[in-house]
Amino acid sequence: MDHNAYIPQLARIIEIKEEVGGARAIKTFRTAFVNGAGFVHRCGQCAMLSVFGRGESMISISSSPLVRDFLQFSVLKTGRVTTALHEMEAGDLLGVRGPYGNGFPVDDWKGKNIVFIGGGIGLAPIWSVLQTTLLRKDEFGELSLIYGARTSKDLVFKDELYELKKQMPVHLSIDVAEPEWTEFVGFVPTNVLDKKPSAAKTIAVTCGPPIMIKFVIKNLRDIGFADEQIYTTVENKMKCGIGKCGRCNIGFHYVCKDGPVYSWAELKKLPQEY
Amino acid sequence: MAKIDELKEEARKLLQEGKVKYIIGYTTGTDGWSAVPAFIRTAEEVDRIVWDPTCVHNLTKFLVDEKRRKSRSRKPDTRPVGLFVKGCDSRAVVVLLQEKFINRGDVYLLGVSCEKAGVIDDRKLAQKLKGKKPMKVELGDNGRIVISTPEGTLEVPAEELLADRCLECRANFPVVFDVLAGDKVKRAVEKPYGSLEKIEKLTAEERFKFWKEQLDKCIRCYACRSVCPMCYCDECVVDSVNLSVTADTSAEEKAQRIKWLQRSAESSENFVYHFVRAIHLGGRCIDCGECERACPLDIPLRFLNKKLEKEASELFGYEAGFDAELPALIACFRDEDPQDFIR
Amino acid sequence: MDKILTKKALARWGKKLRDSRVFFPRLSADGRWDYVEAAAADELTLDVRQTAVPPKKILFPQREVLAEFSETVEGTAKTLELKEALPEDGSVVIFGVRPCEGRAAWLLDKVFGGEFTDPYYWKRRDQTTLVGLACGTPPSENCFCTSVEGSPHSEEGLDILLTDLGDRYFVRALTEKGERLVSAARDLFQNPKPEDKKKVQAVHEESAGKIKRQLKEARVISEKLTGLFDSPLWDDEAMSCIRCGVCTYLCPSCHCFDINDEIESASPLQGKRVRTWDTCQFPDFTMHSSGHNPRPDKASRLRQRLYHKFRYFVEVYDKFMCVGCGRCITLCPVGIDIISVLDKVKSHGS
Repeated sequence: MDHNAYIPQLARIIEIKEEVGGARAIKTFRTAFVNGAGFVHRCGQCAMLSVFGRGESMISISSSPLVRDFLQFSVLKTGRVTTALHEMEAGDLLGVRGPYGNGFPVDDWKGKNIVFIGGGIGLAPIWSVLQTTLLRKDEFGELSLIYGARTSKDLVFKDELYELKKQMPVHLSIDVAEPEWTEFVGFVPTNVLDKKPSAAKTIAVTCGPPIMIKFVIKNLRDIGFADEQIYTTVENKMKCGIGKCGRCNIGFHYVCKDGPVYSWAELKKLPQEY
Repeated sequence: MAKIDELKEEARKLLQEGKVKYIIGYTTGTDGWSAVPAFIRTAEEVDRIVWDPTCVHNLTKFLVDEKRRKSRSRKPDTRPVGLFVKGCDSRAVVVLLQEKFINRGDVYLLGVSCEKAGVIDDRKLAQKLKGKKPMKVELGDNGRIVISTPEGTLEVPAEELLADRCLECRANFPVVFDVLAGDKVKRAVEKPYGSLEKIEKLTAEERFKFWKEQLDKCIRCYACRSVCPMCYCDECVVDSVNLSVTADTSAEEKAQRIKWLQRSAESSENFVYHFVRAIHLGGRCIDCGECERACPLDIPLRFLNKKLEKEASELFGYEAGFDAELPALIACFRDEDPQDFIR
Repeated sequence: MDKILTKKALARWGKKLRDSRVFFPRLSADGRWDYVEAAAADELTLDVRQTAVPPKKILFPQREVLAEFSETVEGTAKTLELKEALPEDGSVVIFGVRPCEGRAAWLLDKVFGGEFTDPYYWKRRDQTTLVGLACGTPPSENCFCTSVEGSPHSEEGLDILLTDLGDRYFVRALTEKGERLVSAARDLFQNPKPEDKKKVQAVHEESAGKIKRQLKEARVISEKLTGLFDSPLWDDEAMSCIRCGVCTYLCPSCHCFDINDEIESASPLQGKRVRTWDTCQFPDFTMHSSGHNPRPDKASRLRQRLYHKFRYFVEVYDKFMCVGCGRCITLCPVGIDIISVLDKVKSHGS
């Protein structure tokens, strides 16, 4: 029987972690497929999470494909489906279908340095590729992370970040100074200029709010990064996830199917309608 | 047929003097004979403006667009918009004024009288022409519609081609205007709400059967809602999202929004959609007939709204769109309003 | 396979297809043409003006149930059952499909195929035989199929093409499905004579000349669109748009849809996951949950419709997605004319 791409597989939530509380709540979910093989994804791919009765939401898979025990998703509470997800508990069933989209061309980056640049929840879509390159760190040059959020409470993966600092340079920032904060204060694009990563043999991977991505790309180009060296992952409203419902297109591409990963060289050729 | 030369002169002056942002009027469309809405921005373009019995559109709808456009701009151009209005269209302007959706200073009204006639129904015209292609449609001096075709000219009594709503019209000339073309003459209406009789005569079962057959055709394109000037709500009952959400709208508010209606075009959903819309327009609909005209499946939507118009008149003595000083029907009451439903 | 069918025999062909659901275009009591399902007593006829709703409503209905979900609760244990809900079995025959509509089905085949095949569309498509009718005269004042690489006698997407020769039809079976449908009533058909084939050719050649509207140099326009994305042209053209969605709902090749869960019982949870027609012309089509909208105004949405039909689809499949049926022109309540807009694109800047 041909697999019906519209039908999710059932998965159980095995762990929920509250990353950020309050109005812009973020929770990280780890899910395990109930029966059947599930799927293997590539870094950068996403999956449609189903809350039956409420709907579906396309979320980046933030765990590395090298991790086989679970799939990890970090979800910002913003609407009907994501609020329902936040109300779920470990043990609850949800639907997962995927993996969708293209992935980061990690193998093309062998031998190169990689600087990951994230803002807010934007760290989640690039977490998978960050984790994967870390697990394969002998194949790459220097790995580093520049990451910021509005306040220290809005940083995601807080525990993992402090562990990560032991393995690679991690430069954090928050928008406005706080009493206990000792690292950079300012927006992420400004921190990029402050830390001035070298463009020589380096790939930059960035994700965050659209306005942040725009200025990060501008600043990277200003400090010598070529368009082919800058990668991002975009998002759009999605329903089918397989390039049929017509909703998520940027020009002749469907973000769900032809994206969401783009180099700036590719993305700048498309209509800037996203 | 009213002559609009003076209106066009006025339009030219308004544009030359920069008194209006632009003027919304009618011009001949690409088929060469039927009118379409036109946005006139320069005095030279005013020559494009026409007036004939094919000017069916209710241009008041574009005032809603204009308001949205202004709200998106940080420094909006606060000059009024010039608007050509027929009698019915002017009543729509009055309703928007009654509801304080627009201010009188937002619009400069160039009124045109239908001079006891009105606008034609394109389906009736097609039936009359039986395949002949019209080149021009005009209202003759003797109350007949004059249609030029390549095979010659046809003259038809206006009643045979006028839109049904025109036959019951109570506002043959604009009720509010800044300048007016044409005479303030009223068409005699034998039976206001006469068009409802054939449905009112049916039993409840027959009526249900009639409406089920009609509403089963509906594909929920929402053209009826989109074309109506009074359907301006950003938070419409049919939409599962509130169109005016911002980055600061809480997730809870978005999540708790009730889905009153499914998008499926099933019988029950279609009934709910059309009946709720009719009720939301009760005491507000001014029978411009655009909903029925826009419907690609020819569902006779006018009857639903007309019925409620009749109720508003019989129960509350209320007529929408004649007096901008009056409050909206559902925003007021009189001591003598009927109370027999309270038991 | 070429055959001849007299017009008198057409009705008998319809009656022989008792095992299938047969659709044909019919004039309703209130004067509308529509593809309706034939009841047992109905006489099959093929005289038709353009229907408002194209036959896409049969291959891709307004509402399609994708799956059903139901929850069972036993004490504290909750299990969920999810079942796909494919369209029911049963062969369907649609008579009187216009070549533009057949071509639209052929275009939709590309959309619903590809890397992920859409099992709902394909079940219907595989079960359906499209019997086309070449257009001797244009069914609409606004037809322009020849301008978008179609033709009033094109065979794309169809299983059979009928050509009206006056008292009889020339029947060309184009696919296996078409041949089976002819064979199912083989005694009703005769072999064509040489003069029949000549007449068909003449009818076909004449029909293209009867099309009144032209969109000249559509490929040049398609190329030109690439440079006009940010042009103020779109603001002007979209001023009178009332974003009613009629153009896209009634377009034979439009396929945008929404997916929603319809709850029938809240506890225990029972319901259906359903897809319904949607349109890029509605303001919330592309609106993110945050309120951010890549296409916040009518200009960008009109632009999207035109680009999808005349640029993006060309970039992916090297074909126009517009089939030139003219419905969007005929039915637009404010007279926005796609040919006129594209002509302005062509002359823009020159």
